[in-house]
Amino acid sequence: MVAKDKADGKEHVHNRIAVLRAERGVSRRELATALGVHYQTIGYLERGEYSPSLYLALRIAAFFEVPVEVVFSLEPFPRLGST
Amino acid sequence: MFERWSAYRREVLQRDTLPSWYATRGRRRALAAAGMTAMALIWAATAVSWNLAPSDTAMVVSLSLLGVSVLVTLPVISLLNIATRGTMSLSERLLDERQVAERVRSFAVAHRVMLGVLVAVAAVVLGTDTEEVPMAAVALGVVGLFETHLLLPVLIAGWRAPDPPPDEEDEEAAEEDGGDGGDEPAA
Repeated sequence: MVAKDKADGKEHVHNRIAVLRAERGVSRRELATALGVHYQTIGYLERGEYSPSLYLALRIAAFFEVPVEVVFSLEPFPRLGST
Repeated sequence: MFERWSAYRREVLQRDTLPSWYATRGRRRALAAAGMTAMALIWAATAVSWNLAPSDTAMVVSLSLLGVSVLVTLPVISLLNIATRGTMSLSERLLDERQVAERVRSFAVAHRVMLGVLVAVAAVVLGTDTEEVPMAAVALGVVGLFETHLLLPVLIAGWRAPDPPPDEEDEEAAEEDGGDGGDEPAA
């Protein structure tokens, strides 16, 4: 099942890091420093090219002071302005 | 002392030295291909020594190939280390989880390729009359094995590395030029 999802490209975790970061006026480097990761890792996360570990996901949610499901989802987030 | 050296290396590897050499995946792959060619030159020198040593021709050709290999390898490995931000060369405690995952993947691929190289070397050695193998060929073969083992992970990491996200300054400039800057990353 997992292998099939991987093959279908469905094993993808959507996130709102870019939106939250823009909303709070936090740069990639500032977020990276706060989380103790390389700044490029934030870019890869935002582009959906890297899915974080549960530990990092929880730390990102804690940084933005929101529940983890506000930042990450297995389904695409609705676009702003859509119903 | 070691801590200071580690911190210095980490800092140097974060600097964009000669960025145009590794800015795109195509260029990084060209660098990795150049590194692989340099490695192949050592094996070519081994073959030359095996067949022609001891002779002046063998010495001149082998040393020339060795020299060209070193001259190509040093800048290629330095640039690929910068391109991968030290993923393959820094201590694991200085890397984040994405870099560690990439390092593990590159080592796994390099391990498999190295196994293939060892099988090929064993097949050649066992399939040839090895009673009078020149010492120069043995020495070059050992150098080739060490070099292949040491450099393959960096070359593979450079080959696999995706394009890094653009700097925020570049993105802002693009948005000012009319980009729409969607709220979701592309799936």
